[in-house]
Amino acid sequence: MSEPQADFEPKIVAFLCKWCSSAGSDLAGVSRIQYPANATPITIPCTGAVSPMYILSAFNKGADGVLVSGCHIGDCHYIEGNYLARRKMHLTMELLKFIGLEPNRFRMSWVSAAEGAKFAQVVTEFVDDVRKLGPQDKLRKVVSQ
Amino acid sequence: MINIQDIRDTARDMLAKGEARMVIGYRRGTRGMLAEPAFITDPAQADDLVWDPTCFNNLSLYLVHDKKFLAHMRENPKGPVAVVAKGCDARSIVVLLQEHYFKREDVYILGVSCEGAGVVDERKLAPLLNGERPSAAAFDGDDFVFTTAAGEKRLAAREVMADRCLECRAPYPKEHNLVFGEDKTGRQLEAPFAALERFEAQDAGQRWDAWSQHFDRCMRCFACRSVCPMCYCDECVVDSITFPVTAGTTAEEKATRIKWIERSATRSENITYLMTRAMHLAGRCTDCGECERACPVNVPIRMLNNKMEREAREKFGFEPGASIGGPSLVATFLDSDPGQFIR
Repeated sequence: MSEPQADFEPKIVAFLCKWCSSAGSDLAGVSRIQYPANATPITIPCTGAVSPMYILSAFNKGADGVLVSGCHIGDCHYIEGNYLARRKMHLTMELLKFIGLEPNRFRMSWVSAAEGAKFAQVVTEFVDDVRKLGPQDKLRKVVSQ
Repeated sequence: MINIQDIRDTARDMLAKGEARMVIGYRRGTRGMLAEPAFITDPAQADDLVWDPTCFNNLSLYLVHDKKFLAHMRENPKGPVAVVAKGCDARSIVVLLQEHYFKREDVYILGVSCEGAGVVDERKLAPLLNGERPSAAAFDGDDFVFTTAAGEKRLAAREVMADRCLECRAPYPKEHNLVFGEDKTGRQLEAPFAALERFEAQDAGQRWDAWSQHFDRCMRCFACRSVCPMCYCDECVVDSITFPVTAGTTAEEKATRIKWIERSATRSENITYLMTRAMHLAGRCTDCGECERACPVNVPIRMLNNKMEREAREKFGFEPGASIGGPSLVATFLDSDPGQFIR
């Protein structure tokens, strides 16, 4: 693990469900809630559509942390997408932990369209946790000069 | 104790009566003691079949090959394929049936029970034979008997058996048309997931130190993918064959194509490949252990699959290859699935 750097700004890839967390992030914005700008949002149709490949690929391409955020259990627009995501993401997380990646680099949250404040809080906490860990260099692709 | 003559007789009868168009089994190979897969269509060749501790191939792989081969044939030959299947192989067949890869009537499972034993691990055997090359191996109660130039060598099966067999929970093919040998389920020689648990007892830093070396070693020969009956996708996510680069391909097209994994055998790409493979096999891998055996650089691939298998078993109560009609692991859910990790 690399040493924490004072000027380190973590890169976070946030997969946000278009029906809830994406709207939640909008609400955080229009409500003028201050939160770190480290998360790059990628809107997805449903957390159930997040392939573990997306997460591995994000780490591979240099993400320091990956956030997957979707609708609360029972609120899925497609009825059961988030239940399926819960299972898949659990397996992905366990596999990442198994090979020795820090558990705090991957996070999942339920944020509804009405929870702008919660979205800001989730991102703030996650950025803080990842900042403590320093750059992610385990799964990152090394590009030769 | 399985009498090989019974399997030969059954195979001969089935082929002679036209009940099967092919029998897939094991025969004496050309490399020392090792058995090799045999594809028998002529009843006279049925006597080639063998059953010994070197029959480690998961023959359900060849059912997949057969299906792919038939897709390119002009006419479809009638009749099922009979296949010799150990406990793990039979579970692989169940998963393939569960995924509707072929129909139940297209396959005739000649189950063989591993009884008190399993298959040999060459890597464990080599140091015990002092460099001698065995020409044959045989079951004998709790022992394996190896024939070498210096005579017979008897070794306790426990000492040279593959880890997957020591930890096997079900050495009996539950799904079968015909079965040879007794059901000795529950004869565990070692606790299930023992190797996995020994590894997991280490902290995250030690685990990464070990895995980073394994990932560095991988040279992406794809032997693990080739021996796996579950890796039947026509196009693997690691091969970008749907994007042929021709003289007319523009630089922009090349730059914007989705490329999940590069072909270069570097650590980061190997991680993505092996982890993706483990995810794709979650709830499907039946722990036949062929990937690990086939690996030329000893990457403990089976441990990744074991990890997924244990998570599925402990957290979701899921057992791969348990029933043909059952749901698949990631296409189903329970209200009781763990969700504490979600903020």
